[in-house]
Amino acid sequence: MMMRSHLFRSTLLCGSLLCLAGCNDGSGDPKAQIGANPSLPELQQYLLPPMHIARVVGWKNGETPSVTKGLKIQAMATGLQHPRSLYTLPNGDVLVVEPKAPKAAAIKRPKEIVMGLIESWATSGGNTGESNRITLLHDSNGDGVPDQQSVFLDHLNSPFGVALVGNDLYVANTDAIVKYPYHDGDTRITAPGETLTPLPGGPIDHHWTKSLVASPDGSKLYVGVGSNSNITENGMEAEKNRADILEVDRATGRYRIFSSGLRNPNGLTFEPTSGALWTVVNERDEIGPDLVPDYMTSVKDGAFYGWPYSYYGQHVDPRVQPRRPDLVAKAIPPDYALSSHVAPLGMVFNTANGLPQSYRGGAFVGEHGSWNRQVLNGYKVVFVPFQAASRVAWPRMS
Amino acid sequence: MTSLPYEERPHSTAQIAHHPLHPMLVPVPIVCLIGALLTDIMYCVTAEMMWADFSAWLLVVGVIVGVLAAIAGLIDLLSSPAIRSLTPAWPHALGNVVVLVLAFFNALIHTRDAWTSVVPTGLILSIITVLILPVTGWLGWAMVYRHGVGVVR
Repeated sequence: MMMRSHLFRSTLLCGSLLCLAGCNDGSGDPKAQIGANPSLPELQQYLLPPMHIARVVGWKNGETPSVTKGLKIQAMATGLQHPRSLYTLPNGDVLVVEPKAPKAAAIKRPKEIVMGLIESWATSGGNTGESNRITLLHDSNGDGVPDQQSVFLDHLNSPFGVALVGNDLYVANTDAIVKYPYHDGDTRITAPGETLTPLPGGPIDHHWTKSLVASPDGSKLYVGVGSNSNITENGMEAEKNRADILEVDRATGRYRIFSSGLRNPNGLTFEPTSGALWTVVNERDEIGPDLVPDYMTSVKDGAFYGWPYSYYGQHVDPRVQPRRPDLVAKAIPPDYALSSHVAPLGMVFNTANGLPQSYRGGAFVGEHGSWNRQVLNGYKVVFVPFQAASRVAWPRMS
Repeated sequence: MTSLPYEERPHSTAQIAHHPLHPMLVPVPIVCLIGALLTDIMYCVTAEMMWADFSAWLLVVGVIVGVLAAIAGLIDLLSSPAIRSLTPAWPHALGNVVVLVLAFFNALIHTRDAWTSVVPTGLILSIITVLILPVTGWLGWAMVYRHGVGVVR
């Protein structure tokens, strides 16, 4: 399985000076937080939150992640620069989106200087070079070894989501959805893009990845816009149209808030059986190693999922002021917890025949991995089998 | 008290051309920590993050310059038996160590995100800190204005 063409292997670096309590954050079994009814411990507040940063190192020659029985893994492409999301075109060509994070906003607090340093350990795989581009992988005989690896689209602005409707290819940059002409077999786009609609971007652009999917009939685009903070510490005015899934009319570019209170929604995908829109969401940090579970959920039109006022339904977050009991009363819990701090960034439903039959009818979720707990969580791809009527069951690691 | 001749006054060791460093540095933490209480109060009243951000900066600068002032003061204290024998010397030093420790933990509390970076723990620590400051300040001033520590003429 080549869902993660990652070039990095993570080793562990104890966040030494931050690991004051002997590297034991009192976290429980992450499996107790997988499923429809995760156990939620009491909220904790810290002088220094538990941290454990996985440092980036390269893969050794021939080294791969391990996969479960019946699957095989090999690198489909190497030499990529910060690959962050994938999109498969109808002819089987794979687009690898290689974004750079947008320019950081002006420092607001001394904490940001320290956090910037710590985060640079987790992401600095050296110079990412000329990224902010999309690479095309063309594999004509399907052996997992592309005969062509070339730049498909370049000079983008922190791109993440891609969606194709007919001959219109949409790229969700961090600040706009841009439309390009695409025809079957194209291996490079040189035409200038046309902005369909601007999206909430800088100058503060905390969660900058814009996940994108087109509705099955092609009339609408859905875009995930993450919050502009962990928990409103950049001020409420920075959160306009954020922590939302926006529904964009493809003909006019006008958008409306489809669903709200989703802190950082990614992996937008339509579930093939029910036709419902699903997303994976990165929940809030710094209230404990087992809070708040990240989750996957079907997304209902007009629904509010709590952020920032509450989590997992109506558990009030005391860090948000002013309180909004009226909104907390409306907050609904998501469908399925993936456990805390796993940082799901991608999700795909398996509708193809290439994998063993047991992987039919379910979703693969790519988990970027935790920083806000001592015992690492995530850093893997999990499979969540869907039972009839979109009821989800215990996921398998894969 | 009658003024002592220069030779009999306690001397400052951490000084530049007879200008003691400690009294030059102490206004910075005093102003920063009092300022942090004021901006904490403003944040409590408004819930506007700008005020909490101000508090975080004031506490960090207050602690950093406060540590420098403490080092200068400690050098004066430890290198002069005359200073150590003054009644206000140790209460002044220990009181301000308490201030710095409280301000350090307060700075950590202020690294939390949003409301609970101030309310209630941060605000309480800011209040206690500012309540200690006039006492230790009074003792410090007594050492200069009454006992002539570091005074040349």
